[in-house]
Amino acid sequence: MEHATILVVSLIGMTIILIAVIVFRPEVTATRGGKMLAFLVLFAMPILCVGMGGAKELQRSMSTQFCLSCHVMEPYGKSLRVEDSTHLAAAHFQNHLVPPDQACYTCHTNYAMFGGLKAKISGLRHLYMYYFGTTPAAEDIKLYEPFNNRECLHCHAGARSFEEGAVHTSDPDLLPALKANKTSCISCHSVVHDVKTLNEQKFWKGGA
Amino acid sequence: MLITNAMERKLRQSGIILMLGLIVQALCLILGRGALGFMVFACLGGLLVMAGIIVFLVSLVAAQPS
Repeated sequence: MEHATILVVSLIGMTIILIAVIVFRPEVTATRGGKMLAFLVLFAMPILCVGMGGAKELQRSMSTQFCLSCHVMEPYGKSLRVEDSTHLAAAHFQNHLVPPDQACYTCHTNYAMFGGLKAKISGLRHLYMYYFGTTPAAEDIKLYEPFNNRECLHCHAGARSFEEGAVHTSDPDLLPALKANKTSCISCHSVVHDVKTLNEQKFWKGGA
Repeated sequence: MLITNAMERKLRQSGIILMLGLIVQALCLILGRGALGFMVFACLGGLLVMAGIIVFLVSLVAAQPS
């Protein structure tokens, strides 16, 4: 268990013990100190616990393991292990070009202002659909809007392989068009999560 | 005396609801890894803690000076 989780669980445990004092000895609230204790353990500390626990859960919700815990996402998790470097997501995941423990979140977060918040709201919608709605088949899942180059350029802008790459510099208009999101990166790097052909692929066994 | 007892009863109710909510949240943090853990943490745990706090606040509002 992570240290932060141990800290939050310890705080929750301490709060529960103090609440138990009020529950089993409510007469202590007759004194001024008892009233202060009641306010602390029945109001302030639960809010602190929920806040810290919620922050931990939100952090956990960014993990690859969390995203792939939904059954419908399993093929997408499998596509990260395809033994073919032309598969964009697989190449990024296997070569640690994105943090492997936050692979989905790194590419599928909008890097604009409130991007993280928007991603979390979308995630809540996905959770709702998963548990209470009808989930589409994996191959029918589409992005809400076309993938914005900004998400790629967050890491690749300024990198030598991107700025001086032979294909990127072969046409003088290409780099400016990519940077302005007029030409999509995906138009050339088109194989991202090819979940339809997973049965024909070999898979990397390495990694955690 | 009756008023004090009513308040104590409400405080006890609030405490029990809060304890349940916090136990649920602690279990989710320890055992939960996926989306289900998140849902239980937010929906069940969060709801119980919120209800416990509301009962506590209601007990304060309902309390009359002796």
